[in-house]
Amino acid sequence: MFVAGLDIGSAFSRAVIMHNGNLVSTALRPTEGNFRKAIHDVLSEVLAGAGINPSEIDVMGACGLGAVFIDQPIPKIADLSCLSRGTHFLLPDIRNIIEVGNQYSRVIKINDRGKVADSLVSDKCAAGSGRILQIIANVLGVGIDELGPLSLQATRPAKFTSSCAVFLETEAISRVAEGIPVPDIVAGLHHTLTTKIVAMTSRLQISGDCAMTGGGAMDQGLVRMMEKELGFTLQVPEQFMVAGAIGAALIAAERGT
Amino acid sequence: MYFAGIDIGSTITKIVITNQHKILSSVIQRTGAEHRRRAHQIMADALAKAGFSADDLDYIVATGYGRINVPFADSQVTEITCHMRGISWLSPNVKTIIDIGGQDCKGIKVKDGRLVDFIMNDKCAAGTGRFFEIIAKVLGIALEDIGPISLKSKNPAEISNLCTVFAEQEALLRLSEGVPIEDIVAGIHKANASRIYGMIRKIKIEEVVAITGGGAKNVGLCRCLQDRLQMPVWIPPEPLITGALGAALIAGEKAARINSGALSGIKSKRRWDAATFFGEDRKDVVSVSSDQ
Repeated sequence: MFVAGLDIGSAFSRAVIMHNGNLVSTALRPTEGNFRKAIHDVLSEVLAGAGINPSEIDVMGACGLGAVFIDQPIPKIADLSCLSRGTHFLLPDIRNIIEVGNQYSRVIKINDRGKVADSLVSDKCAAGSGRILQIIANVLGVGIDELGPLSLQATRPAKFTSSCAVFLETEAISRVAEGIPVPDIVAGLHHTLTTKIVAMTSRLQISGDCAMTGGGAMDQGLVRMMEKELGFTLQVPEQFMVAGAIGAALIAAERGT
Repeated sequence: MYFAGIDIGSTITKIVITNQHKILSSVIQRTGAEHRRRAHQIMADALAKAGFSADDLDYIVATGYGRINVPFADSQVTEITCHMRGISWLSPNVKTIIDIGGQDCKGIKVKDGRLVDFIMNDKCAAGTGRFFEIIAKVLGIALEDIGPISLKSKNPAEISNLCTVFAEQEALLRLSEGVPIEDIVAGIHKANASRIYGMIRKIKIEEVVAITGGGAKNVGLCRCLQDRLQMPVWIPPEPLITGALGAALIAGEKAARINSGALSGIKSKRRWDAATFFGEDRKDVVSVSSDQ
């Protein structure tokens, strides 16, 4: 049975095709403000990758803020459940997840079947999400994918006093004007975001067996900084970007049968 | 005798020069990135406007976020105290002050000229001038027009995000959907007024309510706040200078308690060379005297 899963987010749209419990094809595209187009394109791409027609899909599930724009009457499933289930599929031994998304960060405890046991989410605040990384990348004039490597070169992370993205941006500009090296500025900002996330992991008393997902997991510098502050290693599954879509596919399949 | 109050805010610096009875001159200028170097320049402008020289000033009090780095100030007093004094002098019936600054927002509760309660947000840009600056820029509107434009709306848009960054996105999305700009701007004002109200009500709002700071010059924001408060609000004729005014009044009181010999001694300690403080925070050099 071919099962499809879609995860249509504010920054990225993702799709997967699974067959008999295995991942057959994945697709990832930036949403760029146009949900309908992103849905169409990502679905086409994932079908082409699997070499099948839309009619060959037996079940399809979707999640994400853009899922409302999917015209077909398919189940729209909660993001939290999909992410948990999908991450569990990729890393069956983990029991905790840190998700650093575009609009918020989330910390999740799951059971051995990938179901949510507890979770905490940050306020809708740019400084507590991957969004701050984008803002700072702009200020520094670097690509967001360069932040990780830059941060790893830092010798003395700059100190930031603000906890708001708007004020952090101003502080970052001042640091640049003061001649602080770019790697130190990036590391300083990673530290600010890490502090906010660690506050949440402490509240949920997470001490290990933890995966990291969401766009923020692409940033190796952030991952390393978090491991340092948390005191345990984080596992970033290779297919972390489509974890939500995998979960949507698996949950839809279960509900369908 | 003549006195001066200087209020160095994160965005704007204000100076008021008074004699024992009234305001003689006031100056309002952007602080800029290096406030330590600007303070004496702005003071020079204030003096020129009043037709005085620095030596004519018998006592100078500094307040605001930059008060510690004013080498020509004779003492420093907290903003809350200065705002309270300034407003009480302008209108003795004020019991609640909402001060909306460039980067923070404060609620001050006053009774008989004394501080009763206080609350502040300086962590999040929502509810501060910064939010409006950013939205105005992204929508291509001049900051001083944002209030009047919001008043034209008959149907404020729902803005669900309070985070400046996400609200900016939401505003652009609404614009791309064809929502009229005045409705978007009105929605932004409503959301910020809600945020400010949510904070201020923790200090139990009592009439007369005054609004000060740059935010008081935004007619749209004041109207929204009035609607939320369900009370009339009073806005002083020049809402930016209440802190500096209070500082000048306190300067007058301090000077009255010092004999003229000692006053001359104090004057001679003033330093007008801003370069002394360039580059590093010389915390060991500055003396901070206690406020009232």
